[in-house]
Amino acid sequence: MDEILFFVAGIAAIVAAAGTVLLRNPFYAVLSLVVHLLSLSLLFLLLYAQFVAVVQVMVYVGAVMVLYVFVNAYVGGSEEPRGGSAPTLKMFSYAIAVTLAVTIGIAVLGTGLKAIDGAGPENIPASFGSPANIGELLLTKFLLPFEAASFLLLVAAIGAVVLARRRRGVLTGEERIVSAMDVLAPAGTGSMREGVGAINPNPGARSVRIAPSTGAGAPGESADPPARDTTEGTR
Amino acid sequence: MTQLTEATTVLSAINAYEPWYVQIIKTLIIFVIGFSLVPLALLYERKLLGRFQNRPGPNRVGIYGSLQPMADIGKLLFKEQFKPRGAIGWLFVLSPLIAMVSALATFMLVPFSGAPQDILGTDVGLYGLDSDIGLLLFFALSAIGAYGVLLGGWSSASKYSFLGAMRAAAQLISYEASQALALLGVVMTAGSLSLSEIVDQQGDQGIWFLVPQIVGAFIFFVATLAEINRTPFDLLEADSELVAGFMTEYGGGRFALYYVAEYVHLIMAGAMFSTLFLGGWHIPFWQDAPGFLDPFVVLAKTVVMVSIIIWIRATLPRVRYDQLMSFGWKILLPLATLNALVTAIVLVAF
Repeated sequence: MDEILFFVAGIAAIVAAAGTVLLRNPFYAVLSLVVHLLSLSLLFLLLYAQFVAVVQVMVYVGAVMVLYVFVNAYVGGSEEPRGGSAPTLKMFSYAIAVTLAVTIGIAVLGTGLKAIDGAGPENIPASFGSPANIGELLLTKFLLPFEAASFLLLVAAIGAVVLARRRRGVLTGEERIVSAMDVLAPAGTGSMREGVGAINPNPGARSVRIAPSTGAGAPGESADPPARDTTEGTR
Repeated sequence: MTQLTEATTVLSAINAYEPWYVQIIKTLIIFVIGFSLVPLALLYERKLLGRFQNRPGPNRVGIYGSLQPMADIGKLLFKEQFKPRGAIGWLFVLSPLIAMVSALATFMLVPFSGAPQDILGTDVGLYGLDSDIGLLLFFALSAIGAYGVLLGGWSSASKYSFLGAMRAAAQLISYEASQALALLGVVMTAGSLSLSEIVDQQGDQGIWFLVPQIVGAFIFFVATLAEINRTPFDLLEADSELVAGFMTEYGGGRFALYYVAEYVHLIMAGAMFSTLFLGGWHIPFWQDAPGFLDPFVVLAKTVVMVSIIIWIRATLPRVRYDQLMSFGWKILLPLATLNALVTAIVLVAF
């Protein structure tokens, strides 16, 4: 059963990864990536990494890819590629692709191929791959990389918020002081009329103006800037 | 994970030690029970809503309207399967299936009994899967379930469906964060991610986690309401704004699949809450209750929670979209983080 699952998941992973790159429709490319990540999580499961497998599904399939689908459904979905790339950009992407391929090649040739000859580790401890085991490792042996990674993510999150505020403005017009009381007891009655700004020009506390702002935002993007910005920010 | 036969290696990685035929029988039983709970929940909700609104509720089909869900399902299954002209066929068909299967699959995680029960000479644990990552599996499965809603709305080629799906994407992600963070307190108090271990710990520590984790329980409950699209947070199918949201273009059997998923989510919300916070199969002040009572205790607690959710539906109006988002990100998430922090400090200090 292991072998069957391995080949099913492996082939699905490769085909879906190829599909991600080759499919012209960005929406299908994203879906293909979802299938790829699901297959990868099955492969993790075969390696006794059950925690990693589930987190893979939770984080990548459940959160990151949903955002990709979200963005793609809004701006993508056309069969035509959206304009050609600039030549410098093209050169740059080729360079990155070659560098990545070489790096992965070194890693695989250096370590991975050894495992093919062997029969795998003799004794896998019962706790291997369990959440407790991983948690302990993250807080002892890999504390520094773990903290560095979380710091990097924090910087990225704050950067995303700052960029979003500068580009389109989460709070257009006058800046308001954030207060929890505003959310608990919004001004007015919280009716639909108030929501579109008919009664209260600045409805609620964290209300989004439904009318498109005069800023640099693309037309049709007036849906819900705070939601998207904050969700991106947590990744 | 010590003694493994070849065939069970993969399953044992998620702690499924039972013989393969037991697993298959269990899967079938869970599927059948999960499926047959749906009409009951449907009838229960309609009856209860009726009482809340001072009317009898369905009372024409069968005794006290008891066969109403059967009539509903029969009607749905015999309707024409249509699809909009611009819809993407295979996704349109696949999405309700994803929603239903992933919803029913979460049912396997609910532990219905403590010690394995002796059924026909075989020791069988009354759960589909008692994994040491059970709680995470629950989140993973509900993450996959979100695709059912998302893809269904997108592939329908309809503005209302699309808006419903986009709301779903934002809402499910926003509240999943709070939902997961709220459970950190429970996980830390119990010291395990396994659902049956969490229930065991509530017995051993002699207190339901509702008491020490009251804030976590509140956050989890509210976030779960948003996750399963129940009324104050049912914006993805807000019928006064979006016709029926992501399922606008669905009819007949495919609509029935979404309906099944919705009611399985409702039951699962009750079951998960009673497992995590209400002590699962434990009966208060009765330590050595006979084992055969366990599943019924879990079911009773589930029914109580489902009733509360229906009560909320009968009481509260739908929130506005911006209220939903600001509540999720600015109240629930910081509160959940604070709860996890305080729990950690208390656990380490005392």
